[in-house]
Amino acid sequence: MWEGQHINTISMDDKFDCIVIGGGVAGLAAAMTLARNNMKFLLIERGEFAGSKNVSGGVLWGHDLAKLVPNYWEEKDGGWERFINHRRLTLIDEQSSFSLDFKSSHFNQPPYSGVVVLRSKFDNWLAGKVQEAIDASNFAMDSFIATNIKVDEVLMENDKAVGIKTGDDEFHAESVIIAEGVNNLLTRQVGLQDKYVPADHMLTGIKEIIRFDQDVLEHKFQLNGLSGMSNEFVGWATDGVEGGGFLYTNRDTISLGLVLGIKDMREKKKSPHDVLNHFKTHPVIADAIKGGEIVEYSAHVVSSGDKRAMPRELYKDGILLVGESANLLMNAGKAIQGMDYAMRSGILAAETIVKAKEKKDFTSATLKEYRAALDDSYVMKDINGFQDAVHLLHTDTMQHKIPNLVCDFGRQFFTIKNEPTPKSKDMLKGAIKRHSSLWELAKLGFKAGKSL
Amino acid sequence: MSTLLTHIAISDGKIKRSSLEVLSHCKQLADQNGHTVEAVIVAPEASSFTDEVQKYGASKVYTVEDPIFKNHMNTPVLKALAKVMEQANPYVFAFASTEGTKDIMGALAANQQAAVLPDVSAFKFTDDGIQAKRPVMAAKIMANTEAKGDTILVSVRSGSYDLNESPTEAEVVNIDFSMDEGELKATLREIISASGDTIDLNEAEAIVAAGRGVKDEEGQKLISELAEILNAGIGASRALTEAGVYDPSLQIGQTGKVVSPQLYIAVGISGAIQHVAGMANSKVIVAVNKDADAPIFDVADYGIVGDLYKVLPPFIEEIKKIKG
Amino acid sequence: MVPDVNAPIQIKEGKLIQDADRMILNAYDASAVEEALVLKEKHGGEVEVVSVGAAKASETIRKALAMGADKATHITTSGDELFDSGSYARILAAFFSDKEFDILSLGKQSQDTDSGLTGSMVAELLNLPYTTNAVGLEIEDGKLIVKRQGDTGQEMIELPTPCAVTCSNDMNEPRIPNLKGIMASKRKPVEQIEIDDLSMDDSALEANTQVVSYEEKPAREAGKKFEGEADEIAREVAQLLDTEANVL
Ligand SMILES: Cc1cc2nc3c(=O)[nH]c(=O)nc-3n(C[C@H](O)[C@H](O)[C@H](O)COP(=O)(O)OP(=O)(O)OC[C@H]3O[C@@H](n4cnc5c(N)ncnc54)[C@H](O)[C@@H]3O)c2cc1C
Ligand SMILES: Cc1cc2nc3c(=O)[nH]c(=O)nc-3n(C[C@H](O)[C@H](O)[C@H](O)COP(=O)(O)OP(=O)(O)OC[C@H]3O[C@@H](n4cnc5c(N)ncnc54)[C@H](O)[C@@H]3O)c2cc1C
Ligand SMILES: Nc1ncnc2c1ncn2[C@@H]1O[C@H](COP(=O)(O)O)[C@@H](O)[C@H]1O
Repeated sequence: MWEGQHINTISMDDKFDCIVIGGGVAGLAAAMTLARNNMKFLLIERGEFAGSKNVSGGVLWGHDLAKLVPNYWEEKDGGWERFINHRRLTLIDEQSSFSLDFKSSHFNQPPYSGVVVLRSKFDNWLAGKVQEAIDASNFAMDSFIATNIKVDEVLMENDKAVGIKTGDDEFHAESVIIAEGVNNLLTRQVGLQDKYVPADHMLTGIKEIIRFDQDVLEHKFQLNGLSGMSNEFVGWATDGVEGGGFLYTNRDTISLGLVLGIKDMREKKKSPHDVLNHFKTHPVIADAIKGGEIVEYSAHVVSSGDKRAMPRELYKDGILLVGESANLLMNAGKAIQGMDYAMRSGILAAETIVKAKEKKDFTSATLKEYRAALDDSYVMKDINGFQDAVHLLHTDTMQHKIPNLVCDFGRQFFTIKNEPTPKSKDMLKGAIKRHSSLWELAKLGFKAGKSL
Repeated sequence: MSTLLTHIAISDGKIKRSSLEVLSHCKQLADQNGHTVEAVIVAPEASSFTDEVQKYGASKVYTVEDPIFKNHMNTPVLKALAKVMEQANPYVFAFASTEGTKDIMGALAANQQAAVLPDVSAFKFTDDGIQAKRPVMAAKIMANTEAKGDTILVSVRSGSYDLNESPTEAEVVNIDFSMDEGELKATLREIISASGDTIDLNEAEAIVAAGRGVKDEEGQKLISELAEILNAGIGASRALTEAGVYDPSLQIGQTGKVVSPQLYIAVGISGAIQHVAGMANSKVIVAVNKDADAPIFDVADYGIVGDLYKVLPPFIEEIKKIKG
Repeated sequence: MVPDVNAPIQIKEGKLIQDADRMILNAYDASAVEEALVLKEKHGGEVEVVSVGAAKASETIRKALAMGADKATHITTSGDELFDSGSYARILAAFFSDKEFDILSLGKQSQDTDSGLTGSMVAELLNLPYTTNAVGLEIEDGKLIVKRQGDTGQEMIELPTPCAVTCSNDMNEPRIPNLKGIMASKRKPVEQIEIDDLSMDDSALEANTQVVSYEEKPAREAGKKFEGEADEIAREVAQLLDTEANVL
C-alpha cells in the first residue's frame, strides 16, 4: 500500500486559506474548525509538540470541547483528567479556612460542565484529533500541523497580513489567526497591541504537580471514578500579594498553585516560589498535600482579565486575534476562565475565516464579524459584565479583610466552650469590628451585588 | 553442572580490572550453584596473563593468540570467541561492558543463537536462566530482566562487583587461530588518537570531570591541577568533548563511559540525566556549580555553590595541605 | 521510535507508566539519518528509512522524512508484542535480505534501553561487514570510511559496501526539520508492510529476554549544599572530604 505517490507535485507557493500561529487551546480550536470546514491551512507551534510549552493546566469550563470533539468522554485515552462535580471556594486566614462548598451529582453526566486537564497531555491529544480532521478533509495532503517551528514575523503588505516568516522561509496565506498566547509579540508586531502593557495587568501563575497513589488521592478528596474537585483560595494564601490560590484534582496528581500580581509582588519583594511555599504551610494545604511527591514545578504569565489590557481591536485586514493573545480571560474569584475563552474565540475566528473564503474577502469588512460574534457570545458578555468583580477581587478588602473576618467569625461560631454562647450576630459584629467596619462592608456588599 | 565463561579484556598490556570484577562474581555464582568457571583471553600474548586469571578462580583458561588482536577489530574477535564457545559450550558467557564488548555482543549472540543481556549492573541465576538488573531510561530506573536459553551472553558495567581473589590451579587451553586477509572484511586504516598515558576512567579511584562551565584554558588548568594532586582521571561532559576541548574517550554519560570511582568531582556540569547516567554510582560526588538550582546538586554529596574560578584555587590549596 | 526519557515516568507495581505516552525519534537514529543526508548531499543516492513499530511510529518516520529522507518503509506491529533487540534484528534482517543497498545505518543504541545490540545482530544475520559506535562517516572510492570511537581512542576503519554501521550521537547535530521539510514529508512515499509479509518463522520473532519488572533506583542520600564565601566553603568541603568522606 502506497500512501501518496506524487512526490514532485509539492506546491509550496500555493496560498493557504489561513495560517494559525500557536498550537495552544485557541489555535487548536481554530484549526479543528478550519479542518472540519475544508479549509486549507497551516498550524504552526514553536514547541516540540503541541502542549510542550504550555505548563498551565486547570479546569476547562463549559461544553465547547464537546463541540470540537463530540463524545470526547468516550475515548479510552482522552486528554482530560477528571470531570468537576465538586467545587469549593475557600477563604483562609493564618490558621483557619471557611469554605463555600458545592457538590452535586447534577454534574455527573457528560457533556461535563468542566474537566481538569494537564496541558502538555491535553494539547497533544487535541492536536492528534485535529490531524484526524485534516486527514478526513479535502485538504488532507495540503493542510499541516507543524511543530518545533517558531513564527518570527507576520508578513504585512499595505497593512494587510499576507503570510508569515520563519527563518528565511516565507509562507503565504489569505489570513492569519494569531493564537500565540500571553507573550503576544506578534500581536504587537502587527500593531494591535501597545508595545508596552503595564505590569499591573499581568499576573504570574505558578503551579506544582503533586503525585499520590491514585487510591489515596481518591480517598483524600472523596472522588468517585473520574469525578474531581476544584478549589479556589482567597486570603492568607498569597502572603499579602494580590492574587489567589487553586487546587485541582487530576487522575493521580493534584495541581496546586497561585496566581499573583506581578507588580504587587515586585513591590513587596516576594518571589512566586516563596509565596507558594508559604501557601503550602497552611494547615489546610499541608493536610491536603501530605504524603504526596512533587513531580513538576512550572510558572507562566497569565493576564488579569482586566479589559484595559485588551488589544485595541481583535481583527485587522487578514488578521484575527484569539485566546490569550487577545487577552481573553476572566478571573473574578470563582474560577479562572482562559481555556474556554480561548476555545470559543478560536472557533468563532475560524468560522469567520470560512465566511471570508465564501465571500472571497479577507479584509476587515468581513473579519469584523468575528468581533461581533464574540461580543454576542458569553465571552465578551462576561468580560464586560464582570469587570467590576475583577477589580473588586483585587482590592485589599477582598484580598485580606474579608477572609480574615470570615475566618474569625467561623472560629467563634464553631467553638463550643461550656460557657454561655453569644448570639451569632454579635459574633459577626465583633469580627467585623476587628477586621473592617460595617460601613466598608456595606460599600463592598453593594459593589459585589452589582458586579456579580 | 554448567560452565560460566568469563571474557578477560586486555588493554594497554594489562588485564582490565572490570573483567576481573566479572570473573570474581562468576566464581562466586559458580560456587553457590555448583557450576564451573572458565575464562578466555584473546590477545597477542594471551598466555602471559593466565597466572593472574588463575588468582580469581578460573579452573580453565582458554587463550587465543595472534598478532591480529593488537588492535580491536570485530571480525577476528568474533571468529575467535565463536571458536572458544564451541569448545567450552558455556551456559553463561560474561563480559565486562567495554566499547570492544559492545562492538561484538549482538553479532556473537546472533551467530551463536544465544540470548543476550547487555550492560547489566547485577545478575544471578534463576531456575531456567539468569536474571539481571539493567539501568534503563537514561539510568533513571532499573529493569529486572530475564534471559532464557541454552546459552546466555551478559555484559556487566564496571564497578558493579568487588574483586575477590580465590586462587586455583587452572588448565590452560590454547586455541588454534588463523585468519586470512580475505576473511577480514574490514580494514583498519589508522589509530587516530589513543589516550594511552591518561588514567583509565573505568579504573580510576578519583575523577575530576569538566563541563561547559570550564570556559577557557585557565579553567582547564585548574582541572588538570586538581586531577594531578588527587591522582585522578580527567573526564568531561558532552558539552566539552563535542567542542573538542577534551578527547571524546573522556566523555562520561549515556553516550560515553559509565564510571564509579570513589570520588567524582563535577565542575561546571549542570547534571543532565544523560550525564548523570554515567556517574551516579560514584561513591562520593562533589559538585561545583554557580547555579544553586543545577540538577547536579540532586546527586551530589557535597555541593559547592559558587564560581569554579573562585572555588577551585582555595579547594586545590586546601587539598594540597591535607595531602601534606 | 523510543519513549521520551525526559517525560515524567513512574513505576506502579513493577510496571512502567509514562504519564504522557509520547514517542520520539531515537537520538542516535536521528544522527544516523543526519549523516545519511550529509552523505547523500555529497555523493548522491537515496536515503530510505525503515522502522518496525506500532501505528505511532509513523510520527517518527515523518520526522525523518521531514529532515530530508526520500522514502520510508513502516513494518507495522500491534505494539503489544514482547519483542527484544533480537526479535527486531531478525525482522530487519528478513526485510533487508532481498533488498539492495550500499550502507545500512543504525543507531548505536536505543535511548530508553541502551541495549546497543540490534546493529551488530543485523550485520551478522546478513553477513555484512560492520562497525559500531561511529562518530564520523566518509565515502571514498565506493568504500565507507568510519571513524569509530573505541575505549581509549579512535580508529579509522574502511568497509567495503554493502556494509552496516551504528552511529553515535556524537557524530553530528541532527537538523531540525524546517517548515518546507515538514510539508514535503507528507507527500513522500511510506510503504506499510506487515510482519506476516516477511514470511518469518514464529520462533524467529520470539524474544529470549524479557523485562519482568521495573523498580526505582535506590536514591542517593540527599547531600549537603554549601553556599557562601567561595574561599571558606571550598576549604570546608576539602576538609570534609578528608575527615568525613574519607576519600583523600
Ligand atoms: C497557573 C495557571 C493556571 C491556569 N488555570 C486555568 C484554569 O483553571 N482554567 C482556565 O480556563 N484557564 C486557566 N489558565 C489560563 C489558560 O492557561 C490560558 O488562558 C490559555 O492557555 C490560553 O490559551 P491560548 O491558546 O490563547 O494560549 P497558550 O495556551 O499560551 O498557547 C499559545 C501557543 O502559541 C505558541 N506560540 C507562541 N508564539 C509562537 C510563535 N511565534 N510561533 C509559533 N508558536 C508560538 C506557544 O508555544 C503556545 O503553545 C491558567 C493559567 C495559568 C498560568
Ligand atoms: C541521547 C543523548 C545522550 C547524551 N549523552 C551524554 C553523555 O554521555 N555525556 C554527557 O555529558 N552528556 C550527554 N548528553 C548531553 C546532555 O544532555 C547535556 O547536554 C550535557 O551533559 C551538558 O553538559 P554540561 O553540563 O557541561 O553543560 P551545561 O548543561 O551547559 O551546564 C554548564 C553548567 O556550568 C555551570 N557554570 C557555568 N559557568 C560556571 C562557573 N564559572 N562556575 C561554576 N559553574 C558554572 C552552569 O551553571 C551550568 O549548570 C546526551 C544527550 C542525549 C540527548
Ligand atoms: N523497531 C525498530 N525499527 C527500526 N530500527 C530499530 C528498531 N529497533 C532497533 N532498531 C535499530 O537498532 C538501534 C538500537 O538498537 P538497540 O539498542 O539494540 O535497541 C536503533 O538505533 C535502530 O537503528
